[in-house]
Amino acid sequence: MTAPVIVTGGSGWLGHALVKALEADGRPLRVFQGDVRDPVAVAQLFDGMQGASVFHCAGVIHPLRATREFFDVNVGGTSLVLDHARRAGVGRLTYVSSNSPFGYRRSPAETFDEAAPYNPHLGYGVSKMEAEQLVLRAGAHGALHTVVVRAPWFYGPGQPERQTRFFRAIRRGLFPLFGPGTNRRSLVYTDNLVDGLLRADAAGASGRSYWIADARPVTMAEVHDSVRRALAAEGLETTSRQLRLPGFLCEVAGWADTLAQKAGRYVQPVHVLSEMNKTIACTIDRARDELGYEPRVDLDEGMRRSVRWCIDQGIEL
Amino acid sequence: MSDERITADVVVVGSGAGGALTAATLAEAGLDVVVLEEGPWLEADATEPFSKAEMTAKYRDRGISVSLGQPPVAYVEGRCVGGSTEINSGLYHRTPPELVSEWRRDYDIDDFDVDDLAVHYEGVEKALTVSQLPGPAPAHSSMLDTGGGRLGWDVVQVPRWMAYPEGETSFRSGVKQTMTRTFIPRSTAAGARIIAGCRATKVLRRGSRAIGVACVRDDGRRLVVDADHVFVCAGPIHTPALLQRSGVRGVGRGLKMHVTIKVVARFADEVPGSDAVPVHQVKEFAPDLTLGTAISLPGHIAMTLADDWATNGADMDDWRRMAVYYAAIRTQGAGRVIAVPGIKSPFVTYQVTDRDLSHLARGALALGELLFAAGAQRLYPSIADTPPIDRPDDLVRLWGATTRGRASLMTIHLFSSVRMGERRDRTGTNSFGQVWGFDNLYVNDASLIPDAPGVNPQGTVMAIAARNCQRFLADR
Repeated sequence: MTAPVIVTGGSGWLGHALVKALEADGRPLRVFQGDVRDPVAVAQLFDGMQGASVFHCAGVIHPLRATREFFDVNVGGTSLVLDHARRAGVGRLTYVSSNSPFGYRRSPAETFDEAAPYNPHLGYGVSKMEAEQLVLRAGAHGALHTVVVRAPWFYGPGQPERQTRFFRAIRRGLFPLFGPGTNRRSLVYTDNLVDGLLRADAAGASGRSYWIADARPVTMAEVHDSVRRALAAEGLETTSRQLRLPGFLCEVAGWADTLAQKAGRYVQPVHVLSEMNKTIACTIDRARDELGYEPRVDLDEGMRRSVRWCIDQGIEL
Repeated sequence: MSDERITADVVVVGSGAGGALTAATLAEAGLDVVVLEEGPWLEADATEPFSKAEMTAKYRDRGISVSLGQPPVAYVEGRCVGGSTEINSGLYHRTPPELVSEWRRDYDIDDFDVDDLAVHYEGVEKALTVSQLPGPAPAHSSMLDTGGGRLGWDVVQVPRWMAYPEGETSFRSGVKQTMTRTFIPRSTAAGARIIAGCRATKVLRRGSRAIGVACVRDDGRRLVVDADHVFVCAGPIHTPALLQRSGVRGVGRGLKMHVTIKVVARFADEVPGSDAVPVHQVKEFAPDLTLGTAISLPGHIAMTLADDWATNGADMDDWRRMAVYYAAIRTQGAGRVIAVPGIKSPFVTYQVTDRDLSHLARGALALGELLFAAGAQRLYPSIADTPPIDRPDDLVRLWGATTRGRASLMTIHLFSSVRMGERRDRTGTNSFGQVWGFDNLYVNDASLIPDAPGVNPQGTVMAIAARNCQRFLADR
């Protein structure tokens, strides 16, 4: 199929990986690097792209300071992208959503499936929920075929500085496990996610959402172990020491994050800390059944590739 | 001097959309009804619609009330027999069905779905002769159709409660079916007594029973109405305030509004008829965001240009080529009504969130896209110190400009300050407006609507009021 492809957020972590895969496929491609809040730029993006497939990856996850950006970019930008895509007669749009519209699970044994009710976690969660709803509504309206892909915590080459800091701290035994470390997280290796996105575009039903993640959720302790093994396997001296702190610190961070966000402020370390003892896990059964999705890279292999990428880039770990 | 006392089966506080319908319905069922109205009783055509004289005569605080918060939100309320129905545009919608379902679920409201309400909508539509314009719409209204059509947006022409003379096609023809032309005369014909210029100060109670209402007339004389049943229909601000003054707890929280931001557009040619009521609305982004045209008298235009008067003042000479447009949102933020002893008007606070400001920016931007598509040459947003926008490339500036400190926001739609449903932690009344903890005290106005309806609310107010009256009569 040679329908052209449009990628928003093409300069981001995921967008970059997606663009590489699309280039390898040889499909005609237009990558948007502009401001999704700008109606003129968005109109130009879709100009002459009738029948294209759009991957809408642009979004703000960790704003520099103010929570307002969540809404301007994630909701406002998505609204503009949808409207202009429809006007231009674009065929399909796949939206990259998140676990944040669903909050977290009470018990480590529970997972999210696609029927989980919205329970958004603070500003980012509300913004992604509203954006999802816009995307699904546009699909229901019929003028555009829309699919939502929900991705949890990613890892993989091209990782941003925040992920590298996480690796560095683990290497030195300085990144704490909060509580027993038995809370489970779903992660997704970026190339697995890219595969899921391409399949969602090719086979996803309109108005349908799909969780795309690695094969199974892992405990937080397993995440730490996997990073340690990857660092060691690449020849980096890594301590096996594990700093442990009580889980209630995450609750304290959660309160602080809530207060800060109420005042419109976003403090990244506090936000990240608040999620460290939470279970945010999903099942990918629907994607397997309906899209034929099967994650090809597992946690250890993905972490090794991530570490290798850092080394190749000369990024100090 | 002893207080004047009268007796009735039912006393209704307030004569707006909720109160007038309640009074007429109960009086026609044979009950002896007294209606108390704080404002004056004026003929519907006593003042020029949307004029300054009308604001002085029929609006609360001469048309200027403001909620406390950053940013503050200006709001208006009617204060006369007929309430806000005497001063609004008369645009009619049924409640969006998806919101009816959401409210039923979130507030656990019994017998509340689109089918339950249908008969009540039909009754209201018939009583108020809800109808479409008999001919073409005024130009400032049609601009939405033109611009929205070019963008492929869903634009609707909203019906109004109007009586149009047979064969007439002008948008200036027709008589708005306000309460003083419909349910007020029906009430009086059925024997109800309307007492205007009489402010209710307290619902009198004995244990869990309301026994009447104490009030003060304009001349300071006191009046007590003893009644078997008390209906409070004083609107979303004064209903919870009166209940609070009467010792009712758990009301006044969760006030909701449709908050609006405005944009004045200047076109190449004159926009004749811009003093007429516009009827088009853009529903492409409904129910969260609605775009519409506002009444565009020179005073309304000047008010928006005044947000950057140093730059815009000179352009006022072109007012004949201008019209006012709005973007209205359902807010995430909410407010409170707090009655303060010794002060007539309660404090009203309203918290507009970052999410809300972002949606307002999106709304202003959507208006901008539409108005440029309709041929506008210059746009003046209601945002302080923001120079006019002359080309689509500059619309992106609206995101940064729509801030707490600079956006001028207002509303004409308020609700949800009491709320109905079986969830006692979130509501002030049961599913049919009966105040929790009382056997015979009811609310029956916009305060009951659980959340912002995303459409002009009078249809929703009246359908719910009719439904609750039906239940009240059936239970007697």
